[in-house]
Parts: sequence; C-alpha cells; structure tokens
Amino acid sequence: MSLLLRAAFAAALIATPAYAHHGWGGQEEKVSDMTGTVVQGVSLAGPHATMKIKVANEVWDVTLAPPARTARSGLKEGLIPIGDTVTVRGNRSTEPGRHEMKTIYVRHGKTEYHVYPDRE
Amino acid sequence: MCVTAKPSITSIPTANSVTEAKVFAWLEQSPLGALVRSLGVWSYGVINLVHILGIILLFGSILILDLRLLGAWRQIPLATLSQPTTRMAQIGFVLAVASGLPMLSVKTTDYIGNPFLLIKFPAIALALVNVWLVHRTIAWRAHRQRDLVPAEQRRLAQGAAFSLAFWLTAITSGRMIGYW
Repeated sequence: MSLLLRAAFAAALIATPAYAHHGWGGQEEKVSDMTGTVVQGVSLAGPHATMKIKVANEVWDVTLAPPARTARSGLKEGLIPIGDTVTVRGNRSTEPGRHEMKTIYVRHGKTEYHVYPDRE
Repeated sequence: MCVTAKPSITSIPTANSVTEAKVFAWLEQSPLGALVRSLGVWSYGVINLVHILGIILLFGSILILDLRLLGAWRQIPLATLSQPTTRMAQIGFVLAVASGLPMLSVKTTDYIGNPFLLIKFPAIALALVNVWLVHRTIAWRAHRQRDLVPAEQRRLAQGAAFSLAFWLTAITSGRMIGYW
C-alpha cells in the first residue's frame, strides 16, 4: 500500500466520529443545559426530529435524534404542549449567532426523554 | 437562521435570498410537505433510500456511457451500450426527482442559506443542458446507423467529460447539504 493511501486511511480513522450519521462537528465540545418554553412542538419528520424552544427571548432550534430513534426514547409528536417549560441538554452550535443545539435529552416535568443515552 | 458575524454571501439578506426564503416556505407549506411529514418516522429514510437508488441508476449508467465515449471498452459498439444506459439513466433521474422533492419539502426552510443547494441545482441544470446539446449533435444522431469519424467521437467525448463533471458536482454538493 502506498504511503499516501495509508495516510488517507489513518486520517479517515482519526476523523471518523463515534456518532451515527452526520457528525457533531460544528458543535461545542461541552454539554450545556438550557431551559425554555416550547414554541414549536416535536416534529418527527425529516432526517432528524426537531423542536423549537424560546430561551431568554431567543428561539433555539433543538435538533433531536433521527425520527425513529427519538420515538423509541418515548418522545412523540404532541406529547409536550406548546408553551410548556422544558430543559434540554446537548451541544450548542459553535457558529456565532446560530441558535441550535444537538440534543442528548429533553426533560419535561418529571419525564426525561433520553434520545442519545450513549452520549451522556 | 444562519446569521453569522463573519461576512459571507449567506448572511447578507439580498433580493435573491428573500426570493429563496419565499420559495422554500412555499414548498414547506405545500400539500406535498404536509403529506410527507404525516407519513411516520421511517418515511424520510425510505424516501432517502429511493433517492439513493435513483442516483445509483442515474450515475452508474452515465458513468459507463461516458467512459465509453471517452475511449474505454472500444470493443463494445457504442450503439449497443447507449440504449440501455440512457434508458436506465432516465429512470434513475425520474426516481431521484420524485424522491428529492418530497425530501426537500419536509423542512425546506432549514435549507435557507445552504450553499450546497445553490451549487447542486445549477449543476443539475447544466448537466441537463449538456444532455440536450449532446443529443442534438450529428454524432449522437448518427451513432446508431454508422461508425463515427474521429471529429464526431471527439465531440461526444467532450460531452462525456462535461457530463461527468456536472453530475459529480451535483452528487457531491447534494451529499454535502446535510453536513452544512
């Protein structure tokens, strides 16, 4: 095997994230919690389930796991009413001004939805 | 979304980006978007699968034909290869479009400001214009009836090179949309 090819393999191995699908690159390393009110309920459509919450007058895109995985965690559409308070834990986007979090879990009242338990 | 501090094309609200936002909002709010969103947790994955199958058919067939036009497998008559490859590519294209629009309609506004989308669709347009131009050439029209002269072969090879460049650009930027 040529040196170049070996170098490419090595780079690919190092660069491969342990997480499924689109990596969590572009997100902060640190995990943070945010508490806010739901302005757009959980949607289980598209490549990832999503919801929007308002935190200190800023609307955050809460990116959840792929739809089937999110549903398996117990989080379904319509379970959390708009206006309810939730706490989300995850990694926020590193892009300045981009209010998006890739979410590990959502807490609603006493219920916790662990969409990425392996990331906790 | 996407209000960045650094100056970039995507962060400046221009007339174009306003139009883009309107078109995207329209597609998201269309009955197609509502339908796809209602189809359950596996629907996006299944539609995505159809998209991949379409691209496989499209690009696989195009690759074989284009490489032949560029000089590979000269022992296979062009007319023998051109018929099945163009037909399979047509089917692949229809599948890709028929699955691509539903995927885009699910959360279209998420893609506002995504530069890869703005590379992908012009690349597809150029690829289709190229197909149209190649199919109008004397060389293409004659290749099923007779052997081509070198100048005609060069014309088709040129079209094949453009074809590979445009389709590869479209596929690459399409794959990158989700990583933006």
